[in-house]
Amino acid sequence: MTYYTLNRLLQGVLVLFLISLVTFFLINLAPGGPSSLINMESTAAEREARMRQYGLDAPAPVRYVRWLAGAVQGDLGNSINQGLPVTRLLSQRMGVTLQLAGYAMLLTTLFGVFLGVVAAMNHNRWPDHVVSFVSTIGMSVPNFWLGIVMIILFAVTLGWLPAAGSSTLGRGFDIVDRLRHAALPAGVLAFSLMPNVVRVTRSALLEVLASDFVRTARAKGLHQRAIVWKHTFKNALVPVISILGLITTVLLSGSVVIESVFGWAGLGRLAIDAASGRDYPVILGVTVLVGALTVLVNLLVDLLYAAADPRIRYG
Amino acid sequence: MADAAAVSARANRRKSRSRLWNKILRQPVGIAALVGILLLIALVTFGPELYPHSAHRTAPLATLKPPSAEHWLGTDELGRDVFARVMAGGRVSLAVGLVSMLVGLTIGSLAGGAAGYFGGLTESIIMRLVDVFMAIPAFFLILVIVTSFGNHPLMVILTVGFSFWPQMARPVYAEFKKFRNSEFVEASHALGGGHLRVMLKHIFPQVLPQAIVLATLGVGWAILSEAGLSYLGLGIQPPLASWGNMLQNAQAYLWLNPVLAIYPGLFIAVTVLLFNVLGNALRDVLDPRG
Repeated sequence: MTYYTLNRLLQGVLVLFLISLVTFFLINLAPGGPSSLINMESTAAEREARMRQYGLDAPAPVRYVRWLAGAVQGDLGNSINQGLPVTRLLSQRMGVTLQLAGYAMLLTTLFGVFLGVVAAMNHNRWPDHVVSFVSTIGMSVPNFWLGIVMIILFAVTLGWLPAAGSSTLGRGFDIVDRLRHAALPAGVLAFSLMPNVVRVTRSALLEVLASDFVRTARAKGLHQRAIVWKHTFKNALVPVISILGLITTVLLSGSVVIESVFGWAGLGRLAIDAASGRDYPVILGVTVLVGALTVLVNLLVDLLYAAADPRIRYG
Repeated sequence: MADAAAVSARANRRKSRSRLWNKILRQPVGIAALVGILLLIALVTFGPELYPHSAHRTAPLATLKPPSAEHWLGTDELGRDVFARVMAGGRVSLAVGLVSMLVGLTIGSLAGGAAGYFGGLTESIIMRLVDVFMAIPAFFLILVIVTSFGNHPLMVILTVGFSFWPQMARPVYAEFKKFRNSEFVEASHALGGGHLRVMLKHIFPQVLPQAIVLATLGVGWAILSEAGLSYLGLGIQPPLASWGNMLQNAQAYLWLNPVLAIYPGLFIAVTVLLFNVLGNALRDVLDPRG
């Protein structure tokens, strides 16, 4: 188990290294490259000085090695537009994104698993069809548009919930206020992620429901509900856990746009601002951090397998 | 003798074709989705030619008008006709969706096919790259590329397509790996067939049903990505209309005229829904395992 965990961690580090390599060279392959950010009105001498200041005068491979040497020591360079260390920007913004992602993941899991179970218990009857219809809608509706519609409905028309921000400005920590702000963005994200969980839960449960021990349970007269929740559900859990790992990337992608719709100052917003401002160190930093989160979640998921299914043992 | 064999082969083919037809006819919802998609394509292709208003002409005195017989969906903040813009934006969004799906499918099939067929070092390198790209949330990858290479419409298409090559590469890889050592591949090699011929003529047809399903679902995904990107102001740039950048404009007028934000989103949702429904129906017909 320890060996397995260590091995996976090592692989994760390798993937992270490759992510940084790919991102760095994608950015530097671009015509013009990072130097194009420098003001067109500046003189040639000024431009050269700026280039040297940011170390842009060195060839790309040298710059990558320098960046990597810093990154290993926890220094991701400085933001070109804000002058602040990238690590500080990331740590400022990460909390908001993790909060949003956490709520969304919770809602996705609760509703996704519940609807998946409902669909499987009523296989090919109307509740199954309704769930599948709602799932297809969730897959198809652009989440940012749903966000706008929800703002129109709940903030503009009804005035029940705030339209933007993650908390009321100037107010200290207030859990009710936080939750009121999170309700719409987290709900919208969950609605678009849910179909994945529903589909996997439904098919995993259907598969287990067709197995022999379920027939035995039924034969001894157990109630359908007892069969599903006590006997079947645990066995269907493994694929459900694995899909939660897979939708992490979708969740983080989705939060980029949703943070913009609802004006949350998270990693997604940071990435967009860096992208439109061509702030290369920040983009690189955000991508690596987001990749690290993904790798970490997937490692946790693999370890959770073993907890959910004692048959799985990592050597 | 040879004639008889040819006749029976033809009869078999006809039989399997009619079986396919029967399966297709059992998917009325899928057929309806296909018809819907064709109607949408017809609307965005011919609509702008038939509708009297231009998507670009502004009218400072007739801004934010409600729907009327003159302007079917009203006018936007610059007095442009919303219905004309929806059709013009649809041209762009559908084109981006279809072409970038082809881009993703091509890159994914080539990479996945090569990895599965050749194995060894090619396999390790390509599949490790797939892992890396799967670990970067697609939207961040798109942001990185668009930042560095600019947001020319062609670049947007390439970027969105490129961002889902790993999803395409995985199933293709699995199939090619499965068939690499099968007898029909060996037979073709024995007859002097080169690698390319074996891959394209003998293995790829096995993957085709799955690829068609993935591609159909991929169009919906590509349309959503382009819309999100353009909504953020990083995709298709105004004055060229796309459903995504129309929504970006509309959000500024949410309190004044919320209806503006409804139409483009509704068109995106319906279009993606049609492609998803068609994709699911195709999966039932073509891919019994899915």
